Amino acid sequence: MLVLVLGDLHIPHRVASLPAKFRKLLSPGRIQHILCTGNLCTRESYDYLKTVAADVHVVRGDFDDNLLYPEQKVVTVGQFRIGLCHGHQIVPWGDPDALAMVQRQLDVDILITGHTHKFEAYEHESKFYINPGSATGAYNPLENRVIPSFVLMDIQSSTVVTYVYQLIDSEVKVERIEYKKS
Amino acid sequence: MPTTPQLGSPPDEQDKLLDEALGIVKMQAFQMKRCLDKGRLMDGLKHASTLLGELRTSMLSPKSYYELYMAVTDELRHLEIYLVDEFQKGRQVSDLYEMVQYAGSIVPRLYLLITVGLVYIKTKPSLSRDVLKDMVEMCRGVQHPLRGLFLRNYLLQCTRNILPDVADTEGSLESEESSTGGTVQDSIDFVLMNFAEMNKLWVRMQHQGHSRDRERREKERQDLRILVGTNLVRLSQLECIDLEKYIKTVLPSILEQVVSCRDAIAQEYLMECIIQVFPDEFHLSTLHSFLRACAELQPNVNVKNIIIALIDRLAAFTQRTKDEGGVISTDLQLFDIFSDQVALIIMSKPDIPSEDIVALQVSLINLANKCYPDKVHYVDKVLGKTTEIFNKFNLERIGQITPVGKELMKLLKIPVDNYDNVLTLLKLENYGNLLDFLDYDGRKALAMYLINNALENETQIGNPEQVDFMLGLISSLIQDQADQPAETPDPEDFAEEQSLLGRFLHLLVSEDPDEQYLILNTARRHLGAGGNKRIPFTLPPVVFAAYQLAFRYYSVKDQDDKWQKKCQKIFQFCHGTISALTKAELAELPLRLFLQGALAISRIPFENQETVAYEFMSQAFSLYEDEISDSKAQLAAITLIVATLEQIGCFGEENHDPLRTNCALAASKLLKKPDQSRAVGTCSHLFWSGKSVASGGEQIKDEKRVLDCLKKGLKIAANQCMDSMVQVQLFVELLNHYLYFKKKGNQLIEASLVNELVEKIKEELPNLENNEESQQISKHFTNTVDHVKSVASIEDHYKDIEV
Repeated sequence: MLVLVLGDLHIPHRVASLPAKFRKLLSPGRIQHILCTGNLCTRESYDYLKTVAADVHVVRGDFDDNLLYPEQKVVTVGQFRIGLCHGHQIVPWGDPDALAMVQRQLDVDILITGHTHKFEAYEHESKFYINPGSATGAYNPLENRVIPSFVLMDIQSSTVVTYVYQLIDSEVKVERIEYKKS
Repeated sequence: MPTTPQLGSPPDEQDKLLDEALGIVKMQAFQMKRCLDKGRLMDGLKHASTLLGELRTSMLSPKSYYELYMAVTDELRHLEIYLVDEFQKGRQVSDLYEMVQYAGSIVPRLYLLITVGLVYIKTKPSLSRDVLKDMVEMCRGVQHPLRGLFLRNYLLQCTRNILPDVADTEGSLESEESSTGGTVQDSIDFVLMNFAEMNKLWVRMQHQGHSRDRERREKERQDLRILVGTNLVRLSQLECIDLEKYIKTVLPSILEQVVSCRDAIAQEYLMECIIQVFPDEFHLSTLHSFLRACAELQPNVNVKNIIIALIDRLAAFTQRTKDEGGVISTDLQLFDIFSDQVALIIMSKPDIPSEDIVALQVSLINLANKCYPDKVHYVDKVLGKTTEIFNKFNLERIGQITPVGKELMKLLKIPVDNYDNVLTLLKLENYGNLLDFLDYDGRKALAMYLINNALENETQIGNPEQVDFMLGLISSLIQDQADQPAETPDPEDFAEEQSLLGRFLHLLVSEDPDEQYLILNTARRHLGAGGNKRIPFTLPPVVFAAYQLAFRYYSVKDQDDKWQKKCQKIFQFCHGTISALTKAELAELPLRLFLQGALAISRIPFENQETVAYEFMSQAFSLYEDEISDSKAQLAAITLIVATLEQIGCFGEENHDPLRTNCALAASKLLKKPDQSRAVGTCSHLFWSGKSVASGGEQIKDEKRVLDCLKKGLKIAANQCMDSMVQVQLFVELLNHYLYFKKKGNQLIEASLVNELVEKIKEELPNLENNEESQQISKHFTNTVDHVKSVASIEDHYKDIEV
């Protein structure tokens, strides 16, 4: 089961479009679900995601124009409960213990957040945390160098293999991280 | 023989007549073959004559006549084969001629004479010239258009392979000629004569019969056109027609016939036919004659299509030759020639519809692009001419769906597609003028087309002049226009347009920071006039680009000693830009932009950094206090302000203190009690991980103030929340906060406090109504308990906590 995790596109506020090399990778039909951390910011990006996969979940970022996206969402994929939240609401931003508070509240195995435009994937107290970064490499005042990135989760029963795709010096680099549910 | 053809017989009647005729043909053919097999030539010829007699009919439509003709001429093949055989055995030609004269009517007689003539030439080629001459002359005997056309077609088909095709030579005249019976000149004369006669017959059809049948007559003429065209095809197949012959003899004769026949159908077809059948090199060398003839055609001939066909063909030929590395032998200035000719044609036809004029310009531009891709001024010339014409005709506000509009859009899109670089449009002085002739929707459509092209090609617009020009071209998207429709546009379409424009703004970029600043100013000037509906889409990209520019100045500060003043100026620029959004009665967007600005400022240690950052934060606060009234929005906004402040470390105490205090105050003044509790809880982070100049950039870690916040949050939850479900939920959240700070090392959070809260929760939880919500709260609590246990087993942050 392939799940695409991405967000913080910030089109058109900060960036013109998704990098061409990423667009090529995201061909329709291969991915079952999309979990988007928010800050698309407009309808066009949402429609684009719908062409990549039919099942798209979006949570509200601080610059999204659609007021109807929820603040948080929990979806179940395979054996995993996955929490989704943009992250600008979680103070301090990017703090693992603060994120853990949300994990406990949502009661999820995997918590996905964004906002920092910095890719993260780590285990903390036996739970898994993913930040797909910014798929477009959009500007963030707190990050000197934002690298465009997104994540693909391959969920098989109680194991999830996470592939992170990063655009470094115009080349796509892939890394692999595994997480097993305990 | 009836003179008025009864072309009016209905289709069933036609089928019946045709079947009858075919039946007779079949029967007579059978008889003919039997006689020939027995060597009875005379009788065979009689049958042949009878079957040919069917071609005398006036009752058949051209389509039916054609079928009959095919059947008949098929059968004549047999006769031809027999005769060739006979002749080779020694039978005299004169005998054959003698015999054939016996055919009663002229149509059968002529078909037979042609057949015999063909046989004669096959067996004695030296007599070709004379026989051909005779045959083409004697066909004059049939003046009926339909019958005559087919008869002459038969002549053409029969002589397909036997036309002499050798060059005229000065010397050895006698010997060469005697072996081939003629030269290519004789063939040319033959075909040209046949062509001229056929064209006359064809034209005559136009005037036959009643005027009410004209439409059907014209259609039938169209059905027959290829019969006439075949003559030209035959000429093109003669290999010895070199360029010189073509120029001197062939083309002039054809053109004379075409022009002098004064028939629109013939002219239109034949001119295009000439273009199709003869090689492009010939056309290149005869342009002037051909185009002159075009100007002399009948008024209702569609000259535009002819010219366009020629231009496109020559453009393709030139490009192909260039691609193959060849060189065009002539030194022609194709573009100039066609440009002038097109102008002449337009002037000579006062009634030419404007869309046809534009269609001609389209093909001229294609010519310019294919043959002279680097001569941008040619394209500009065409655009200029078109502008002139539009001015002359007083055209304006052309709609995209009108015929003219369609051609105009095509014309304007060609340079965009060909160069794939919208900056080339800068070199086309007339482009903007021409664009203005379109109506509002047309201008917008073209603007979006330009933008999409720029985005696809990632074309960077790198200096202020270019930016000014491009934004001017697409002004229909940027500002209200005089001819804008009064009704409000569809919101989705509008949002799509403006988003596209927003994306485009990211292409306005220069490597040089000073130039980039000028670019942003230019863009701001254009976009600022867009009105309150547009600026929410268009100004944020400018603001974010400015934030990035400020950081760029900082990163190259060693090379520019004015960098600090410049940063300040940029943030002032942003302040003004965001304020424009506030004036447009927006609140949430400018608030967020101010907060992002504060973050940006906090990372750039320029002179006055603290003052400017404080100004941005207080602007955000003002918006919060004055403009945001919805309670959900308020909670979200104050949370964002707190979260932002937590990240900013450039404030001294005299600034940080009021900011912290105001956050806490605002939190405690939220309308709903649960919101208050949560917001106050969130403020605790300001006192822990918040940084200031006073703390030397380190975390403040004010244990007491943190505890105060949490206690206050707890108090609100315990005493002022009426809903017990919400209460317990808040307790669990606050418990997590206690644990968070305890883990981070806040000594004032004693285990006793935590245990007290745990007890309270354990007490209240069972009292809650059992539903989904209480189950979630219960799970939350269980997870928290598990967390304590697992941490306690490794470290002693949670020492003495009893769960």
